[in-house]
Amino acid sequence: MEMSQNKDMIILDNLSKHYGTKKAVDGISLSVKEGEMLALLGVNGAGKSTTIKMLSCLTKPSGGTAKIDGHDVSKEQTLVKEIVGISTQDTAIARNLTVEENLSFMAGIYLDPKSYDKKARRERVEEILQDFKLDEVRKTKSSKLSGGWQRRLSIAMAMIGNPKVILLDEPTLGLDVLARRELWREIEKIKKNRTIILTTHYMEEAEALADKIAIMINGKIVMAGTLEELEEKTGQKGLENIFVSVAEGDRA
Amino acid sequence: MNRTIQFAKRNIIELSRDVLGYIFCIAFPILMLIVMSVVNESIPKEAGMHIFRIDYLSGGIIVFGQTFVMLFTAILVATDRSTSFLMRLFSSPMKSSDYTNGYILPMLLVGVIQSIVTVLASCVIAGITGTELKVAGLLLVILFSIPSALMFLSIGLIFGSLFNEKSAPGVCSVIISVGTFLGGIFFDAEGVGGPILKICKCLPFLYCTKVARSTIQMDFQWESFGKPLLIVSLTALALVCLAILTFRSKMKADQ
Repeated sequence: MEMSQNKDMIILDNLSKHYGTKKAVDGISLSVKEGEMLALLGVNGAGKSTTIKMLSCLTKPSGGTAKIDGHDVSKEQTLVKEIVGISTQDTAIARNLTVEENLSFMAGIYLDPKSYDKKARRERVEEILQDFKLDEVRKTKSSKLSGGWQRRLSIAMAMIGNPKVILLDEPTLGLDVLARRELWREIEKIKKNRTIILTTHYMEEAEALADKIAIMINGKIVMAGTLEELEEKTGQKGLENIFVSVAEGDRA
Repeated sequence: MNRTIQFAKRNIIELSRDVLGYIFCIAFPILMLIVMSVVNESIPKEAGMHIFRIDYLSGGIIVFGQTFVMLFTAILVATDRSTSFLMRLFSSPMKSSDYTNGYILPMLLVGVIQSIVTVLASCVIAGITGTELKVAGLLLVILFSIPSALMFLSIGLIFGSLFNEKSAPGVCSVIISVGTFLGGIFFDAEGVGGPILKICKCLPFLYCTKVARSTIQMDFQWESFGKPLLIVSLTALALVCLAILTFRSKMKADQ
């Protein structure tokens, strides 16, 4: 995957989503450069998942624009869907299919048969099985996998189409510390050459993985930047302290 | 088209791993075929009852089996909607026609397989009881039962789109009961006549049974075959369109 330096891959401009009178996302603006990982940090109900849903064309914005690689998520959904991979908050796997069948199915959906014949699709599945160390459970029914394995499979499924952009919605939610660390290593691996937005409410996760962090509170991005920039802006050390000071400041 | 095939393949695998599917879609209709054939053998010839004779019964059992195809379509769609698996697919380049065709094609295949199994079982029972069955009629019923299979699976698609995985089977069981009773599968609706027959004629189920029965008996008259086939085909077409519209609108609403 070729990368042009400093190109904005994702641009949100005054993006908002209203459900009746409730403002789930309230006019957020930010940009994510190609190859960068942005962590959207916030408590439950902050608007992180709604933002991901808008970026993955699952819900239409009520206002503003969101562009991915220059394509508007409201107007060019087909083009956006081809370059975006998503791993949703729930694992979103076909539970009666084996790991290998889930990946083959997604390969059939995402890989264009003109460029990927049956053999090439099989090779891509093999590659992903190896990359994500899923080989040992390839014949296991997905419903029989542990939470950690299911999350890993979910991310592997998002990766099958070799997307330019990956959206990871709470990828480690509900996992124990060991499974979470294991998944962090997988996310670190896919980070290379890809633009990623990760939502999380685990401070240490955002700190460990992201290049940039955006703090969302009540549908608004109240602060964004690198960890160093956030520390400088708030005068606090560590993301947890930064988050608490920003959240309490917002409440006050 | 490729994505439709991929999705249909996935649905076939899902269905093939559900043991209840085999029990309800294949074993249960065959069991009913056997039980009712035994009942038929117990009825004295003088009674003149032919409803459970294998050449009448097998057509009704084909329709009876199709009501379970409806149930399993509804369960599959409702379960997919309740998990975030469909949500992931909505963010993929799949088109809405890929989803609806991807559900309809495998379920239609199940309906055809079910008809073939019922026909084969009917041949065995006919051989045991010494009843004559017309081979051409048995082959043609597999073809002419497709509109009713399409009708039932469309109802399943509608219920699966509208209801959740817990309530969809309940609603389907109402249709199974109504369809079985008012479809005249296990009783002679036309022999009973009166208001019951009038109600039966207002619903499509009796026409499904009539098409299957007439085909097996190679009775291709307008009243017994042509008219019921037209009614079932038009109902199936209308329900397929309604199912597609319902699924699409729920797909948007779910997002």
